[in-house]
Amino acid sequence: MKTIEIIVAPDGNTRVETNGFTGSDCRQASRFLLQALGQQSSEQLKPEFHQAATEQQQRASE
Amino acid sequence: MSHIVEIQTEIRDAAAVRAGCNRLGLQPPGEGTFKLFSKTASGLGVQLRDWRYPVVCELDTGKVQYDNYQGRWGSPKRLDEFMQAYAVERAKLEARKQGHSVREQQLADGSIKVTVQVGGAA
Repeated sequence: MKTIEIIVAPDGNTRVETNGFTGSDCRQASRFLLQALGQQSSEQLKPEFHQAATEQQQRASE
Repeated sequence: MSHIVEIQTEIRDAAAVRAGCNRLGLQPPGEGTFKLFSKTASGLGVQLRDWRYPVVCELDTGKVQYDNYQGRWGSPKRLDEFMQAYAVERAKLEARKQGHSVREQQLADGSIKVTVQVGGAA
């Protein structure tokens, strides 16, 4: 199941976490929320994202 | 794949400001120019509970103008509460606009979790 979780802290700042997406769909799927909520202060890619990026780089260099 | 993004909330949407006020049981916000002790600010004015002057949301910049005299004319907690209510309502409104289903949950630390289900059950 693909979900986007938005945790809104008691001071109003938010953390958006995507789960269950394939490829770079997570960025695309959550873009509307990031644009709606405010200014992005940091981004952390989960391990599987790095894995996909590395595979893409390898394919590109082949 | 998955990722996590931290966002500093900006107030840019009038509908979410209204929904946030409603959520907290505040008067509906009003558009105009408001006096904040020694200065004035224009935008969407929100009267927080026990605050002497309104907080004014400048939707163009996403900033909130206020003068609470370092907490003596209004508790910063009330402002935090409003920012949280706004962010929750904005997230829900935007997710529904995209046709996604939304679930809300109160967490033990005071945070609120909004879960957006994308594209139905897989």
